[in-house]
Amino acid sequence: MSLLTLDRETGRWSLAGSKATWVVLGLIACLTVAGFLLSDRFGTLRNFSNLFGQAAFLAIIAIGQTLPVLSRGIDLSIGSVIAFAAVLTSGLIDNDPSMMLPVTALVLVLGVAVGMVNATASHFLKVHPLIITLGMAAVLRGVMLVYSDTPVGGTPEDYATFAMGRIMLEEEGLTIDIWSGSGLSLAGVFCLLLYLLVYFFLKRTRSGRNIYAVGGDPDAARLSGISVYRTLLVTYGFSGFCAALAGIYLVSQQGVGSPELAVKAYELDSITPVVVGGTMLSGGVGGVGGTLLGVILMAMLGNLLNFLDISTFYQWIAQGLIIIVAVSIYVERRRRE
Amino acid sequence: MSEEVRREPTGMTASGVSYADHLNRYGIFVFAVLLIVVGGLTSPVFLTSKNLQNIFTEAAPLGIVVIGQCLVILVRGLDLSVASVMATAAVIATEFNAVSNAMIPVIFLVCIAFSALVGLVNGLLVTKRQVSPFLATLATMIVLQGIRFSTTKGAPSGSLPEGFRFLGTGQILGIPTGIVALLILAAFFCYLLHKTGFGRRVYLVGNNPAASNLVGISSDRVTISCYVLSSVCACIGGLFLVGYVGSIDNFVGQGYELLSIVAAVMGGVALTGGRGSILGGLAGALILTVIFNLVLLNGLPSEFQYIIQGVIIIAATAFYMLRRTN
Repeated sequence: MSLLTLDRETGRWSLAGSKATWVVLGLIACLTVAGFLLSDRFGTLRNFSNLFGQAAFLAIIAIGQTLPVLSRGIDLSIGSVIAFAAVLTSGLIDNDPSMMLPVTALVLVLGVAVGMVNATASHFLKVHPLIITLGMAAVLRGVMLVYSDTPVGGTPEDYATFAMGRIMLEEEGLTIDIWSGSGLSLAGVFCLLLYLLVYFFLKRTRSGRNIYAVGGDPDAARLSGISVYRTLLVTYGFSGFCAALAGIYLVSQQGVGSPELAVKAYELDSITPVVVGGTMLSGGVGGVGGTLLGVILMAMLGNLLNFLDISTFYQWIAQGLIIIVAVSIYVERRRRE
Repeated sequence: MSEEVRREPTGMTASGVSYADHLNRYGIFVFAVLLIVVGGLTSPVFLTSKNLQNIFTEAAPLGIVVIGQCLVILVRGLDLSVASVMATAAVIATEFNAVSNAMIPVIFLVCIAFSALVGLVNGLLVTKRQVSPFLATLATMIVLQGIRFSTTKGAPSGSLPEGFRFLGTGQILGIPTGIVALLILAAFFCYLLHKTGFGRRVYLVGNNPAASNLVGISSDRVTISCYVLSSVCACIGGLFLVGYVGSIDNFVGQGYELLSIVAAVMGGVALTGGRGSILGGLAGALILTVIFNLVLLNGLPSEFQYIIQGVIIIAATAFYMLRRTN
């Protein structure tokens, strides 16, 4: 992700990346300056360390949403998958430490399976993913409520490690402590690694580049021998995986999974960082680097407004305005017609 | 591109619909009738006039919203802000704290003016700034939600004139008021869409915005009008819904944005624009309401309504898409 690129034809160096990168970096810089000026608690190491951990949830759902959007689709089933995964995880573990690993693995596999069903239905029924994933969201929500309509089960204390764990540097080496207020957030580090991994997957592997090809022009991709179906399986499988992971994160953080999570519209929250980061809903343009910047921006905004004692209500207004401003600057649809 | 060319004549016929569209329309009505027959067979209460009246009273606000949603989808758009507009209109109405019924027209006018403004913003973002409809209306939805909550401090207070109750639950000549309003609006918009130049422009813009610009039709102006009309419909739907519910909270109409899209798509209005009609969308709205009603009447746990709803959404859209590609 070098910030300067050489245009081989003109021999000139220019700023890399899209306008989006610079807009978001600029906004983040403004927020940081404002934070230092307006609040003395904002600019502390402790707060930045907290922020790093708090951003993890949004980071997970946003990277999950990025791939479908790149492939010219969208995944609106994320919210229901999160809730279902959370309820299932806490219900099946039911405070039994020996069940933690198998249940976590099962839930992640289920998440991938849901995504693959979305991809299959959308591809073979030729229905827009918006509708398919919306239908899937309704079905999953129903199935979840049949399983349980109240918070169910619970998790052992160790399960909190994923969301609450902090990596501490002590004399005997690196240790992981759950309830410590300082240290580096384990989930935050995990997310950074996930972003790096997906970044290289998208740029350096054939399957990754196929996602851009399918999003740019599905017909051309098919004609050039790319299996659109297989690409969609990877794309939606990944978003399902991330949604399940986000559900597991919430259980890890809160100790129990609640069906109430289904009404929080996380699927819409997941879209904001993606589009603010410059990934176009029309597909084929953007990437996880932009999404990461979008996540940082949204997390900082929430953090700063909290310090200033500004209610969530105004955060919504700010969030909406940021979408409008950002996306109007980028000019969403390519002017092809 | 070839698909575009093939589709053009569809929107250009005088009535705005082709043979295929007629078949698509037909399908949804057959399904609606089948559903009602199934309803009558599975539940003895279903076909009683009391229950049918309930269904129609509940379907009215959704139907009013669907009319606007259909218009927006016809011009290749999508309106996610309708539910937020419904709730905001309801909150504005209660902020008046009016007692006298004479205030009702004033309340309506203020709310409609406000919602038209929201629609204008949506339309301008989509046309002049080329923001994708999904994002533009998502953003206005979030902003409206923020404004609504911050002005009401999270708990709206205030009251509505007695007459609002009549709008939601009353009857005119034995027909629920909401249905009367829905029928009037539906008739008006069907006339607008199928008998006027504006309607033909809507189909043309939906089928091929570039071509419409070439023949001198401002596709931007048509698109903006559709967003404004959608917001106004949502506002009226919201005011009827608050009359029906009888109490006000910040989430009046929550879920209607997705239900209205689903109803329109089930009714054969294509997300790619230029295809379908309001009547189809209304049939979709009726089907959704009947499903909810049947789930309750048959003593199924209410969770099942989500499952059935999801399956029907996917099945209905798949039906259209597969027919179209054949």
